Amino acid sequence: MTDILQALLQGFAAAVSPANLLWALVGCALGTAVGVLPGIGPAVAVAMLLPITAKVDVTASMIFFAGIYYGAMYGGSTTSILLNTPGETASMVTAMEGNRMAKSGRAGAALATAAIGSFVAGTIATVVVTLFAPYVAEFAVKLGPPEYFLLMVLAFTTVSAVLGQSTLRGMTALLLGLAIGLIGLDQISGQARYTYGVPELLDGIEIVLVAVGLFAVAEVLYAALYEGRVHETRNRMSRVHMTARDWKRSIPAWLRGTAIGAPFGCIPAGGTEIPTFLSYAAEKRLAKGEDLAEFGHKGAIEGVAGPEAANNATVTTALIPLLTLGIPTSNTTAILLGAFQNYGINPGPQLFTTSAALVWALIASLYIGNVMLLVLNLPMVGIWVKLLKIPKPQLYAGILIFATVGAYGMRQSAFDLVLLYGIGLLGVLMRRYDFPTAPVVVGMILGPLAEAQMRNAVAIGEGSFLVFLQRPLSLGMIAIILAVLVLPRLLRNRVRRDHAADSG
Amino acid sequence: MTQASDPRALQTLVGLGVLALALALGAGAVSIPSAAGYGGVGPNFLPWLIAGGLAVSGLMIVREARTGGFRNMEAPSGALTGHWSAFAWVSAGLLANAALITTIGFILSCAICYLLAAQGLRRAAGQAGLGPRTLAVDLATGCAIAAPVFWTFTQFLAINLPGITGTGWL
Repeated sequence: MTDILQALLQGFAAAVSPANLLWALVGCALGTAVGVLPGIGPAVAVAMLLPITAKVDVTASMIFFAGIYYGAMYGGSTTSILLNTPGETASMVTAMEGNRMAKSGRAGAALATAAIGSFVAGTIATVVVTLFAPYVAEFAVKLGPPEYFLLMVLAFTTVSAVLGQSTLRGMTALLLGLAIGLIGLDQISGQARYTYGVPELLDGIEIVLVAVGLFAVAEVLYAALYEGRVHETRNRMSRVHMTARDWKRSIPAWLRGTAIGAPFGCIPAGGTEIPTFLSYAAEKRLAKGEDLAEFGHKGAIEGVAGPEAANNATVTTALIPLLTLGIPTSNTTAILLGAFQNYGINPGPQLFTTSAALVWALIASLYIGNVMLLVLNLPMVGIWVKLLKIPKPQLYAGILIFATVGAYGMRQSAFDLVLLYGIGLLGVLMRRYDFPTAPVVVGMILGPLAEAQMRNAVAIGEGSFLVFLQRPLSLGMIAIILAVLVLPRLLRNRVRRDHAADSG
Repeated sequence: MTQASDPRALQTLVGLGVLALALALGAGAVSIPSAAGYGGVGPNFLPWLIAGGLAVSGLMIVREARTGGFRNMEAPSGALTGHWSAFAWVSAGLLANAALITTIGFILSCAICYLLAAQGLRRAAGQAGLGPRTLAVDLATGCAIAAPVFWTFTQFLAINLPGITGTGWL
C-alpha cells in the first residue's frame, strides 16, 4: 500500500513538469473539441496523431493521448445534450434525458451534472485503477501463454459477439481485422505472409491507415453520400447552474453510476453500452413521484447524471486491462496499445516493473486531467458550444486534412493515401450494412499477439490443443468466455424490455 | 436507385464479397509453409482458420440476405439513396491529394483536397449558387487550415511532410 502511494507520488512529480502539464492540457482541450465535434471521435484523433510517437518522448505522448481519450468523454455529452441529431444520438443514453432537459430550457443544468458527474466518476475510477492495477499486474505475471491466449479470445468475443447488433456481422468484422493483422512477417517463424512481394507490406498495414480510413474518411464519404440533407437543430443554451435540488438528485446518481460503471471497465468485456443502460434503468426505477414523471417528458437530471458517471467510470477502469494485461476492449484503447507498440513497449504485467515511471506518470496525469477537464467544461463550456456552429461541409472537408497528416506522416508514402481511400470505401459499406468497426481495429492489433500466444501454448502442450483444458486457470477462463457470451445478452434483453415497458 | 428498391440483392453481394475474400485468403494460405518447429502449429494455421471462418460467415450472410434480409439490422442513418455526385467530388479530392502531395507539397495538395471535398459536401447539403466566390473561399480556407497544420507538424513535432521547398515552411 505504501509502495503504491510512493510510486504514485513519483508519478505526480513526473506529471507536473511544465512540459507534461502542457501536453495534458493540450490533450484535454483537443479531446474535448474532438468529443464536441460530430464526425470525429477519440479513436481517430489519437490515430491521426500516432506519427508523433516517432519524435515525442513516450511519457509525454501517453499523457497527451490519455488526455484526448478522457476529454472526448466530457465533450461528447455536450453534443448529445445540445444537438438534436436525428438517429445518431438516440443510441446514447445521456441524450435521452439530456436532450429533453435542454428542450425544456435546462441545458445548463444538464451540462453541469454531466461534467461534474464525469469528474466524480473519473476521479473515483482513477483511485480504483491506482489501487487495483498493481495487484492485477502481480497476478497476471503468473499467467502463461494458454491463459493469455484465452484472455485475448475473451476480448475478441466481447468486442465482436456481445456488443453490437448481430453476432454474425460482428464476427465477420473481427475476422476481417484478423486477416489484416496477418499481412507482414509472422512473429514466430519470420515467414512473410500475404505480402505478394511488395516490400512495404512486410511491415504490415499501419494502424493509422485502418483507423483513420474506417472512422474519418468513411465518415466524410458517408456524410456526402447520405447525410447531406439531414438537418440538425440546436437547443438553446441556458446558464450553467445547478439548484440545491439538482445537487440532491445528482449526487446519489453519480455514485450509483460510478459503482455500476467501474466494474464493467475492469473486466476485459468492453463497451460502455451495457453499464450506461443499466445505470439509466436503475435511476428510473429508483425515482419517485415528480422526479419519475420527468423521465421521458421534461427530462430527469438523474437520467443524465447516472449514465454519464457510469460511462466515465467504465472508460477509466478500462485502462486496467489495457495496462496490466495488454488487452484493449475498445477502438481507442486498441489504438493506445498501438501507440505503446510504436515505442517497442508491450503493455502487460511486466509494464509495472519495466516501465513503472511511465505507468505512474500516466495514472497521475489522469487525476490532473480530470481537474483540467472540469475547468475546461464548466466555466468554459460556451467556447466549446461555438464549435457546434461550424457548418458541416467545412468541418468534414477539414477533417480530411488531418486524416492526411496521420496517414502520410507515418510512412511518407503517397500510396498509403490511395489505400486510405480504399479503406474509407470499405468503412462506408460497413456503416451502411451495420457491420461494427471496433472488431476490425481490435482484431488487427490484438491478432498477431494472440497468434503468438496460441502457438506458444500449443508448443507447451507438445503440439496438442488439449493444453487449454489441462490447466485449471485456462479451463476457468473458457467457462468465463462462455458466460460472457450468454450473460450480457440476457441482461441487455432485460434492460430493453424494462425500458420498452416503462416508456410504452 | 437499386438500394431503395432491393436491399436484399445488395446484401447478397456483401455476403459474396466476404466469400471472395475468404477464397483469396485461402489461395494465399496455400503458399505459406506449415513448418511448425517445436511441435506447435505453423505459420499457415491461422490463415486457414480465418479463411475458413470468413467462408462460413460469408455463406451465413448470403443465407440471411436471401431469407428476409440481415437480422437485427439497425436502419442506416441518412437518405435512402446516395448523392453520388457529391461522393464523386469528395473522392476526387482524396485521390487528387494522393496524386499531388509529393509534387506540389502538403499545403497546396491538402487545400485542393479541401476545396473539392467542401464543394461536394456543399452540393450534398443542397446549397444553391455555388459560384466562383465559394470556390475562392474554400481554396483560401483550405490553405488557412493546411498551412498551420503543416507548420505545427514539421516545425514543432519534426514529422516529415512534403513541401515544394525543403525549408519546412512551404
